[in-house]
Amino acid sequence: MLKIKSISKHFGGVKALNGLDLEVGEGDIFGIIGPNGSGKSTLINVICGIYRPTKGDVTFHGQTLSGKPTHQRLKTGIARTFQNIRLFPNLTVWQNLWVARNSVEDIKTESSFYRWFGKSIIVKKEIEEMLEFSNLENRADELASSLAFGEQRRLELARAVATKPRLLLLDEPAAGMNKDEIRDLDSRIRSLQLQGITIILIEHVMELVMGVTDRIAVLNFGSKIAEGNPQEIQKNEAVQEAYLGYSEDD
Amino acid sequence: MEDFLYEVVEITQTIWDGVLFGSTYALIGIGFTLIFGAMGKLNMAYAGAAIAGAYVGLAVSMFFDAPIILVFAVSALVSTLMGYIVYQTCFRFIPTHNHLAALMASVGGLFLIDEVIVLATRGSPMNFPALFEDAYFEIGPFGIRGDLIFVFFIGLVSTVVLLYVLFKTRLGMATRAVAQQDVAAQLCGINIHRTNSITFSIAGLLGGIAGAMTAAAVGVLSPVIILPLTIKGLIVTVIGGLGSIPGAIIAGLFVGGFENLFLYVRGIDERDMYVVALLFIFLVFRPNGLFSKTINRD
Amino acid sequence: MDFYLNLINTIGIHTMLGLSAYLLLQTGQLSLAQAGFFAVGSYTAAILTVIFQWNIIPAVLAAMFLAGFLAFLVGFPALRVKGLTLVVATIAFSEFVRMFFYNLKWRVTRNGEEIGPDGTMGFAEIRYFSDNGWSNLEVTFFLWTFVIIVMGIVWWSDNSRSGAVLRAVGEDELAASSVGINLTVIKVSAMTAGGFIAGLSGGLYAHQVTSLDHHSFTVLLGTFAIAYPILGGLSNVFGTLVAVIFIQGLLVEGLRFLGDWRMILFGLLIVLAMNFKPLGLFDKHTIGIIKRVIRV
Repeated sequence: MLKIKSISKHFGGVKALNGLDLEVGEGDIFGIIGPNGSGKSTLINVICGIYRPTKGDVTFHGQTLSGKPTHQRLKTGIARTFQNIRLFPNLTVWQNLWVARNSVEDIKTESSFYRWFGKSIIVKKEIEEMLEFSNLENRADELASSLAFGEQRRLELARAVATKPRLLLLDEPAAGMNKDEIRDLDSRIRSLQLQGITIILIEHVMELVMGVTDRIAVLNFGSKIAEGNPQEIQKNEAVQEAYLGYSEDD
Repeated sequence: MEDFLYEVVEITQTIWDGVLFGSTYALIGIGFTLIFGAMGKLNMAYAGAAIAGAYVGLAVSMFFDAPIILVFAVSALVSTLMGYIVYQTCFRFIPTHNHLAALMASVGGLFLIDEVIVLATRGSPMNFPALFEDAYFEIGPFGIRGDLIFVFFIGLVSTVVLLYVLFKTRLGMATRAVAQQDVAAQLCGINIHRTNSITFSIAGLLGGIAGAMTAAAVGVLSPVIILPLTIKGLIVTVIGGLGSIPGAIIAGLFVGGFENLFLYVRGIDERDMYVVALLFIFLVFRPNGLFSKTINRD
Repeated sequence: MDFYLNLINTIGIHTMLGLSAYLLLQTGQLSLAQAGFFAVGSYTAAILTVIFQWNIIPAVLAAMFLAGFLAFLVGFPALRVKGLTLVVATIAFSEFVRMFFYNLKWRVTRNGEEIGPDGTMGFAEIRYFSDNGWSNLEVTFFLWTFVIIVMGIVWWSDNSRSGAVLRAVGEDELAASSVGINLTVIKVSAMTAGGFIAGLSGGLYAHQVTSLDHHSFTVLLGTFAIAYPILGGLSNVFGTLVAVIFIQGLLVEGLRFLGDWRMILFGLLIVLAMNFKPLGLFDKHTIGIIKRVIRV
């Protein structure tokens, strides 16, 4: 579904991504791990169109994404969350979800009149579903900035899902979470997979990555050093060296 | 052929005089740029404080029959103080990220200063003394106004001293540190409010010098020059690149020269339209100015 | 009576001016170009009624469209400059427009009399209302009909998805584009809408004051335009209205007896207001308090 072909991204002399090749299949939960500075966030930004790659191409369902601005990529079905939560702080929870409601197909079946006056029943129902999904039903009218950290993370996830993506990029969603929250996140991600959404999970928190993903790619210094299922990756020496500086056999 | 040569001489003369006068714009531009560099904000009251200083200097000369150089010095010092006051009243207590409120507050400050001047002088323009008014040299077909040379000279000296302070003293280093990373600077023990208030004071000093020099070059002091001076200063700052001192210097001289050229070619009514058009042309080709400083604040 | 009607008219026009900046400020674009669009609206409408003898409604609407179109054109280059460079660019734009009209001379002789904009002498004799027998009360109602319509439209925007989208763009452009919002469309639309509203209010203004002078269209007007929504708070239409009433009513007219001191007081009040209430008089906090008080 998503093909990353020999992507390089240079920032002046720094090679954040260096000839990276990746393929994510439809319906997968694909993990990307690697030490800090290995290029994980840069990769998300390239996929989303925030950075233009120095070399290489990204294709989505066979179509190249190059030249497409970020909002257009969203329309083709690619959504993301941010490492440092980027909610709209002075908008309410409802409004945060509202602005993301972007699926035009459903709306076209309803009268424009209703839609313009903010009374679209379909939209209302979908936002309510998102609120339920993120356990924020009672908080709809509160400002996003007044939410607790965990609630903010759930809202950001819901906001991305509200755009009805086919591919969802999660940028370190478990950062700062406790064990219960991680378990909760794990089940949310699985339920999203059941809805047919392909997920790329960039993460440091190993228990989440190893537990929920189907395949994992490991990055170091902008290149892929390993790829496989969670068991294979855990045993991989190159991975151990990258993270720990040594492998089990040393 | 004679007419053509005459035109060339006249135009060169005009541009030359304009560039000399442009040193005052350069100073104002540096002032705006310093404040923008330090806080990322515009101080709309800046030119007001500059002219207010010139008025106080003038008042001193009227009551005390002081030597002209003292008038200039008093103007500069008063503007320095006003810069400090503007910081304390319009910038210090407003949250750092809130650019709107600081802008509005400084606009309020501008209104205040403007009205006080209008009240105090009943709105009538007053004569401002100049040094070397009578000095006039001729080099071939070109005339060199002594007072303009003096203005330029003062501008040059001020800039050199400023650069020395900024790059060779601890105070200057603190100012630059705050400009680049204010949170990190605080963590290193730099008192941000003290540094910023000093930045504003230094900018005020430059503004006061510029205000006095402008008044000296034109010969007249009036509150109506505050707004055009503000706008030209802003244009110079933007053309030079927000946050760049060399940019402000070059842009100031550039605008000064061009402005005089437009005056010669199209007259006083249309002159400022062309200066504005100049800004637009720059924004089309170089929206970040001549020297864009990427101060990455997040 | 006439004095109060005049004041009410001024409040109406300045409210529209404030609302034209309101939408732009919500998207995070600090634009002082409103004075320029206002001027375009004023001169266009006046020229149409005075020189071309148009009826007032089409004249004002045409002025609105022209200003809106100009704003649309301005909207695109405005995207390329951020933050304070935009402030300076829009100041420069407004000044350019003002100087343009300062130099505009278009005299026409009718019934033995010379009319039309007279360059540096200004544009006098915009007598549509008096020539057509409008009473002062009728003028006020006419003007305020437009004000109410504009307020209604902006209020609707605030409470619909459009308003949320505008503010999302103002809060975080990166996040906004990541949820599918087309930044260019939104920002240019806001600029265009602002131009429409400013042009409309300018067209009405010209006929209310009956003579135009370039001094009315300086950067000062542009600062008033953004002062109202900033002081009134960017989350509520009525905040802007209250700010206008407060500033125009109390300070400009009501404190006339203070003479020249009122501008000093005005400046002082702005400085104090910004220090104590940097999010505007009607920020969410204050509105929350007001809501609670009303409930009690």
